This record gives sequence, C-alpha cells and structure tokens, in this order.
Amino acid sequence: MSTTTDARPVGPHETDGGGADAHGAAAHGASSAGYGALVSGASTAALGAAGLVLGLSSIFGGGLHVRIGWLLPLVGIRFDVDPLGGLLIALTGAVAVVVGVYAVGYARHESWSVLTLVMLPTFVAAMLLVPAAGTVTTFLLCWELMAAASLALVLADHRRAAVRSAGIVYAVMTQLGFVAILVALVVLAGAGGADDFATLGTHAGVVSSGTRTAVFLLTVIGFGSKAGLLPLHAWLPRAHPEAPSPVSALMSASMVTMGIYGIIRIDLQILGPGPTWWGLTLMAVGAVSAVFGVLQASVATDLKRLLAYSTTENMGLVTVALGAAALLSASGAATIAAIAITGALVHLVGHAAFKALGFLAAGSVLASTGLRDLDRLGGLARSMPVTTAMFGISALGASGLPLGAGFVGEWLLLQSLIHAPTQGDPMVALAMPLAVGAVALTTGIGIATMVKAFGVGFLARPRSTQAANARETSRGMAVGMGLAAAAATVLALAPGVLGPVVGRVLAVLPAVGGDTAGPHLGAMLRLPGLPGSMSPGLIAVALVLAVVVAVGLGRWDRRRRPAPADVPLWACGADELSPRMQYTATSYAEPLQRVFDDVLRPDTDIEVSHFAESRYLIAKVTYRNRVEDPIERGVYAPVVRAVGAVAERVRRAHNGSVHLYLAYGALGLLVVLLVVR
Amino acid sequence: MSDTTYTGVLDLAAGAFLLVAVLIVWRRDLRATVRLLAWQGAALAVLPFSEGVLRHEAAPIVVGLAILVLRGGVLPVLLGRAVSTEPRERRESAPLVNTTASLLVVAALTVLAYAVTRPIIALSPTPTTRAVPAAFAVILIAVFVLVSRRRALSQAVGFLMLDNGITATAFLIAAGVPLIVELGASLDILFAVIVLGLLAGHMQHTFGGTDLDQLRELRD
Repeated sequence: MSTTTDARPVGPHETDGGGADAHGAAAHGASSAGYGALVSGASTAALGAAGLVLGLSSIFGGGLHVRIGWLLPLVGIRFDVDPLGGLLIALTGAVAVVVGVYAVGYARHESWSVLTLVMLPTFVAAMLLVPAAGTVTTFLLCWELMAAASLALVLADHRRAAVRSAGIVYAVMTQLGFVAILVALVVLAGAGGADDFATLGTHAGVVSSGTRTAVFLLTVIGFGSKAGLLPLHAWLPRAHPEAPSPVSALMSASMVTMGIYGIIRIDLQILGPGPTWWGLTLMAVGAVSAVFGVLQASVATDLKRLLAYSTTENMGLVTVALGAAALLSASGAATIAAIAITGALVHLVGHAAFKALGFLAAGSVLASTGLRDLDRLGGLARSMPVTTAMFGISALGASGLPLGAGFVGEWLLLQSLIHAPTQGDPMVALAMPLAVGAVALTTGIGIATMVKAFGVGFLARPRSTQAANARETSRGMAVGMGLAAAAATVLALAPGVLGPVVGRVLAVLPAVGGDTAGPHLGAMLRLPGLPGSMSPGLIAVALVLAVVVAVGLGRWDRRRRPAPADVPLWACGADELSPRMQYTATSYAEPLQRVFDDVLRPDTDIEVSHFAESRYLIAKVTYRNRVEDPIERGVYAPVVRAVGAVAERVRRAHNGSVHLYLAYGALGLLVVLLVVR
Repeated sequence: MSDTTYTGVLDLAAGAFLLVAVLIVWRRDLRATVRLLAWQGAALAVLPFSEGVLRHEAAPIVVGLAILVLRGGVLPVLLGRAVSTEPRERRESAPLVNTTASLLVVAALTVLAYAVTRPIIALSPTPTTRAVPAAFAVILIAVFVLVSRRRALSQAVGFLMLDNGITATAFLIAAGVPLIVELGASLDILFAVIVLGLLAGHMQHTFGGTDLDQLRELRD
C-alpha cells in the first residue's frame, strides 16, 4: 500500500468524473448504455427481491427442495434450502436489491461494457444459488460460478494496470481456495458415502477422526480465503478497491459472507461437534484477522482499501464468535454457545448492511470526485450532504458503537466471551479473556479508523480541486444508498426484527448449542440465565431526549448571553487557514502507526534538502510513508519467487515450436496407453 | 434392419472412417483433404444413425443427422472457405515427415490401436465394440497429423479428425452419449473451427503465411 503524501488520482478517465466529461458521455451513449444499465440494474434488483422472498419463505416455511436431474450428467443438480441457507439467500437478496437500484445510476455514469452489465445479475444469481445447494456437486458448481462471475466483474475496468494485477491476485487466490474446498468436500463425500449435505450430516459419525481433521483444516483454508481471513486475505484489499463500487459492495457484503457460510455449514453443522482445538483454531484465526485487519484499515489512506480491511476485521470477529460457540458447546456451556452463534449471525447481517452502504457511499465519492485517496478528499459534507450522511451511518455501524448496525453483534459476542464458565477446561478459561482483549482492541482501533475515514474524508475543508468541485450524487444512487441506510438503522435500533429468523436458524445448528433457548432478541435484548440485558431502542430514545433537553436549555439560556459579533478567524498567527494545515489521513494515523510499528512495519523516510547558501535554512522536506502488508511481503513473496523459479526451469522444455508441444502430448498419450494396458 | 445387416453397415462405416483418415495422411492438397474430411463426417454419422434404425429410437437418429449436417457439411464448408483464401501455391501442405514414412507410421499406429483396445473388446465382445480399434486408430492418426503438419489449416483438419475419432469411440464403447453432451461437444468444435479459421486468416494477413514453425519467435 502506498500512502505517499503526493497521492495520485485513481485513473486517467476517472479524474474529472463529475464535470462536463460525464455529461458528454451520458449524452453520447444515453440511448444504448442507459438502457443497458437500466436492464442490468433492474434484473439485479428483481433477482435480489426474489431471493429475499424465497429466503424468508424458506426460513419460516418448510424449506425448499428442487431437483433438476438432466442439467448435470450422472449426478444432477439439487437444491435444499434450510433456514441457515435461507438466511444467507435473504441477506444476499437484500444486498442485491440495494446494489441493483444503485447500479443503474452508477453503470450509466461509468458507461459499463455489455459484459459487465450481464455479469452483475449473473454474479447475484450465482451467490443466491450457493447457500441453496443441497449436494456437494451442486455446491461446488455454484461456488465456481460465483468465483468466475466475480472475477469478470473485478476486471470490469481492465484497461488500468492496477485492476489487471488485482484480477490476477484474485484469480489465483480464489482458485487455490477452490482447490482446497474441492479436495475437502470430495474427501468428505467419499468418506461419508453420500453426495447430499443432509445425508452427510447424519453419516458424519462414521468418518474417521483423521479424515475429519483433514476436511476441517482444508475447509477453513478454502472458506477462510473467501472470507478474507488471515493469512489468505491478500486478495481482499486489492480486488475490493479496484472493482466497481457496486461490485465491491456485493463482494464485501455477500460473497465474503459465503466463506463464513461454508465454515458454519461444513465444519459446525455437518462435521460438528468437533474436538476442542477446532474452536480454538477458529478463535485464533478470527482474533488475529480482526486485529490485523483493523490495524491495516487504521493506516490505510485509500477509502475503499480501508473498507476492505475492515471487512477482514469484521469477518475475523464473526469467526471468533463461531470458534467461541464451538468451544463453549464442546465444554458443555450450550446456552452461552447459543449467544455466541447468535452474535455471529447478527453481526453477519449487520456487517452486510453497513458495509454495502459504505462501499456505495465510497462509490458516490469516487464517481463525483474521481478520488479514493483520503489525503486528497475532505469538505464533502457541504457539497455532498446525502452521501456524507450515508457514509456516517455506515461508519457508525463499522465502529461498533451503540446505535450502529455493528453494535448488537459485537455486544452479544462480548457477552458470550465474558460469561464463559471459568471452571473446567483451562484452555477455555485462558482463551476467553484473551479473545475479550482482542475484540476490545479491535473495536477501539475500529472507532479510530472510522473517525478517520469520516472526519478526514468528509468533514473540514477540501484538500484538492477535485474534492472542492464535488457534486451530490444522482438521485437513483441516493435511493439505493437510502435503502441500505434504512436497513442498517433498523438493524441498529430494533435488532428484535432478527429474533424469529435467528431462532429458526439456531434450530438447525444443534452442534453449537442451537437446541437450547437462544438469547431473546426483542425490544429488550435479554440473555437466558445471565444478568446482561440491553436495548438499543431505549438508548436511541434516551439520546434523542438528551439532545432535545440540551437544545432546549441552550435556547432558554440564550437571553442572558451578549449579542454575537463577527470577528476574523484566529489562524494561529498565520495569515489565514489553508487546507494544508488540516490533519490528513496519514497524519491522523501516525500515532497508531508508531505504536504498532512492529506489526505494521512501515517504510518511512524523511528527506530534508537545504539551501545551497546555508545549512541552517531548509528548502524542502519530503516525507514518504509506505505501509505494505507485512504478511504479503513475508509469506506471499517467497512463495511467488519459488513458483517463479520452478516455472523458469520448466520453461526450458518449451522452445516455442507448436509441433514439439504437440509431440509431447502425443508421446504422453502413447505412454499412458501402453502403461495402462 | 436385422442384426446381420447392422453389423455389415457398422463395419463398412468404421472401415470407411479409418480409410478416409489414411487418405488424409496420404493426400497433400488441402482442398482434397477437406473433401475427405466431409466423407469422414458422413461415415461417422452412419454409426448412430444405423443404431437408431436398429433399435427404433429417435434420439440416435437425431444425433446422426446433426453430425451429418455439422461434420459432413458445415465444418468442411467453413474450412474450405478458409482454404480458398490461401494463395494457390501455398495450398500444398508440406508435412515435416514425407509421405512414405507417414504411411508407415500410420500402419504402426493402427496396429498399436488394435493392441491397446483388446482389453476393451474383451469386456463385452459385441459387433459394436469390435469396431472400436478403427475409431481409436483414427484418434492416433489425427494426433500424428497434428504433430507432422506445418500449415495452420492442416492442423485444423487434424483437430477435426481427432474429434471425429473421439466421437466415434464414444459411440462404439458407450453405445451413444447423452444428447446434451453430444450437442455441447459439437458446439465446442464449431467454435474451435471458427476461431482456427479466423486465426489462420490473421496469420496469413500478418506474417504472409501460415507455417506454424515461424511462430517460434512469439514465445517471449
């Protein structure tokens, strides 16, 4: 990551997005591109609405079973939707509705190609099918469809080199993850003697413990890479920023969630309950991902990269909750395990709402200014009030503060960790306080991160001409964001709406305490048998009352004050305040960067050049600061080098002659024929 | 149709199928090769068609007709069109191996095909599976054509022959493949030929020839 102070605009054609350029493009291709964008967005939203209805009906109805025998030779396609799958389908559907509405305006503005317009609904359809899959084969097919469609969308703007490089990283990582999942599920299906998840769930007992361990590790690797967990997160901060913003929203809010779904379905539901170390592994991976993700987010200056690292953070928290649930359930505290798993599900839904909103707001900023670099943004609150409000709601959710969509899930997670039984297994007694520390650290830095993103990006004065010339986003995009904001607000103030849904989902997860009574999600959140309770609605009412009282007191007190007078602004002795005097994203994060120097390993250099006449006068000070991902540098670079070295050796056999290559193939065929005989 | 007639027709078709492959190796003129390829497609179409007539089933007959149209008609016509754009003096395909040696190699490959398919025949010795070696020999001969021909269009001929061989083997071993698989494979082939034709055209345009050995410099 580059956080140099001389930041560059994102791309040549995006730099002057808000001005005459966009109007020219709109007028030029209004008939064809506008129509295509409308069709693509509308079909995406329609698919999403269908998914929402189907998902909810399969949660509360009896589930959904579809069999298509002829579509895939030998095995056929089979969909079985249970409440867990239904939740994910409804979630994806809701995100798709929002993104579809938003994408109409966005695609018109960016004049998307036909391929991108077609792939958007295709991607949504694939994501809706993944949680519906009832057999291993169907699941793998839908999973690969989802990966391929998302790759095509990441490469939408493939003329920029950064996009191509992100596309390659994403393609390689998603395919390696798929290989891990493929091997794991094939081994599981072979050992369990069945192809469909329902039968596998009942046969899991006959699978040997070695096989179970192998399947667990492989699925955690494969699904973890999709969920952006460490150390396989590297594609996330590359692909999310470079993809078009509606796609980033879909990927971050829905596709990443599919990784968590995979872990829940395979590891907790089918294989579970597992040994204690499974839960500990999940908790460790989750805690490290959460802390590392939020640290990287806190020093990121690219707005979308910051949001991408925040996704790693939130998926880490969800994984901590899953691990805690597995661990608690294995050590006999099923009631508290149910609280943890409820926290995971609630946080998953909350994250989808606020992160989709965050990426869409970032997309509005990008469309209007052509900038993602926080060091060059600022002052958008005045020119883009709607977008600013939307990003504010999202940032409140992401910071995990009360009245934000992320609060309830994190509160439930913390409650489950705090109330874990301390007697019994010493590992549990040790792991829980450590996890509390990790979650608390994550939340604390998360608040700083979101204050930075909102304060530096949207408040104060504009730091560049593009930011100064920003214009409010189009009405269609604002409607899309408004839908997401409404969802985030409802989830934040009345988490009780999730109560019945989570109850149904818990019932199909007996391995993690789902068969006990979960926490009561109503107007008042109550934990069964524990002293904790909380009501976001009441907090909101209290806050509104406090504000009203404070404003009333201020009005009442006004008579006694002297009349206001206009005086020049105090500028610390300088002539006048300039935007360069403000905090930037880099300077705001500097203390954090210094504290976590050992983890972040920033590459900083300061260059001072003096006047030739005198050593005591300084002509120029250059400060350059690059924060690269240390895991990428330490783990990925050696692997890439090794693969490159092997490839170089293999390359010697390739002299470029097509005939030689064909002869290799023919010889191979003959050898196989003779050996097999 | 009686069983004896069926066996006769089947053997005749498989023999013609193999003979055409040998003739393709023997002939150097690209136009003649494309014409031979059309005959091979027709011989291939007879396999499912006769089976459909024998068993009074509609699906194999439909597949046979589709193969006849695609491999006996559309693909050779597409290739023929690509051939006619080549300059007259370049139409002669100049193989890397001379004709006599090629025919000897083909003979060796045919023997090899008979040798390696014996276990398959032993599994269920029916008239259908007894014809498998012929189809298998065509696969091997096609691979040889791919390896030994210089021009891009000769390569396309070899590629189509390879696919004919694979289709024939599938029919003879598995007594027909599902309609959807056959349709998918045929669509693939159609696209491949269109792409190959286009590529050959581009090569002709860019390099003034379609000799694949000249592509060696493109490696880096």
